[in-house]
Amino acid sequence: MSRITIPIGPQHPALKEPLSFLLTVEGERIVESALRIGYVHRGLERLFQDRSYVQNVHIAERVCGICSHIHTTAYCQGVEALLGLEVPRRALYVRTLLCELERIHSHLLWLGVLAEHIGFTTVFMYAWRDREIVLDIMEDLSGGRVAHAVNAIGGVRIDIENDHIPAIHARLDELERQMEMFLGVIQHERTFQARTRGVGCLTQEQVQRYCVVGPVARASGVAMDIRRDQPYAVYDELSFRVITADEGDVWARTMVRALEIVESMGMCRQLLDKLPEGPLASRAPRRVPAGLVISRCEAPRGELLYVIRSDGSDRPARVKIRTPTLPTLATLKDQLRGVHTADVPTILAGVDLCIACADR
Amino acid sequence: MSRRSSLAHLLPELVRTLFARRATVRFPSEPPVLAEAYRGRGVVHAELCVGCGLCVRDCPAFALELEREGRHRFRLVHFEDRCAYCGQCVDSCRQDAIALVSEFPRASPCRTAFTRVLVTHEASEE
Repeated sequence: MSRITIPIGPQHPALKEPLSFLLTVEGERIVESALRIGYVHRGLERLFQDRSYVQNVHIAERVCGICSHIHTTAYCQGVEALLGLEVPRRALYVRTLLCELERIHSHLLWLGVLAEHIGFTTVFMYAWRDREIVLDIMEDLSGGRVAHAVNAIGGVRIDIENDHIPAIHARLDELERQMEMFLGVIQHERTFQARTRGVGCLTQEQVQRYCVVGPVARASGVAMDIRRDQPYAVYDELSFRVITADEGDVWARTMVRALEIVESMGMCRQLLDKLPEGPLASRAPRRVPAGLVISRCEAPRGELLYVIRSDGSDRPARVKIRTPTLPTLATLKDQLRGVHTADVPTILAGVDLCIACADR
Repeated sequence: MSRRSSLAHLLPELVRTLFARRATVRFPSEPPVLAEAYRGRGVVHAELCVGCGLCVRDCPAFALELEREGRHRFRLVHFEDRCAYCGQCVDSCRQDAIALVSEFPRASPCRTAFTRVLVTHEASEE
């Protein structure tokens, strides 16, 4: 059978972000794929060197439009470590709460994207509608739906009023009811099963070889989670399960993320119940002592790593960001080999790529 | 798995959605629904502003400029078209003179419409 090479992207129907593929097909099956990235490279790492540590908080927030808070958390945590600054406990609680709310929002957004790509528009609509519940909570707390501007070096800028907490619990109750519906659909709906079972499989060995992180790794049975393995903020004071699955396909990734939403809601409730009294920020000096720090956080898509080098001035000498999408991109070649062309959007959506993060 | 049990998880939600009320507003004829904490238009309490320039120094979008003429004469200018509405100026101000209020920033086809003088401080002591 003759081989045909199809170029897909950078603007293409499968993803909203620019990513280019060269798919070589034999009939309906893909025999080879080549990937090209870099279309949204904005030179952010270089920009970090031209701005002060304070201004860089807002640059970090704009690396990603979905997981903006976790980027500022990783950045601020790194600078605070260089400064040897102790962050007030109330600030860490607020920070962690926003991290978990953001995880719920990111996973629900992803569920909608996946549902759209498998042709299940109803779930896409419902997932994005219910994502508004958590976006409303975040907007009420911080004033922004996705750019929260909550983190500052040394603490946070927002407070949670005690009389606001029951309203957040009520909204989480509503989301919990909706999650039961989503879990029912994922586990029992025939369309969902038919389009996601056995598609885009990654074995445990492949995950470890490519250094894949986050829900994609956990769906292949690799139980890694920075929140448990190297707790930051106040994760050591929370009880939660690291969700894993063994199948390694798109269905397993869906289940892992859906159950992670349920776990995150439980963590939000714990954080609200245990919220300590106290100040919200420590005063941070503008100049940061010379040194090198590695700051790790568990972003919704997996481990996020910031390396910050200071030369003793008020600007960083180097900031290096390693986002969770980068190793996942490398697995696409393996995932796409031998699949039907109709399954390409499902696989691309299934790994939850964030090209803006990866290109920086 | 039967087709009926497969759909059972979605049907109650489909029925509920039929009777759900409209979620959107008819902007701009209706006012947008904004959270109380929404970071919108910037306002300055001119009497509190001392012209220290801390907000200008920390602004990541270079949306604030301090035009100084002598020690006690200055103007604080806000370029709304550059502003990211991040609220760093509010955080940096030690006099609590700046606030971002829950008001939707204006739209205009003309860029100069976005330049606003927030504070004009004349030399009353000189």
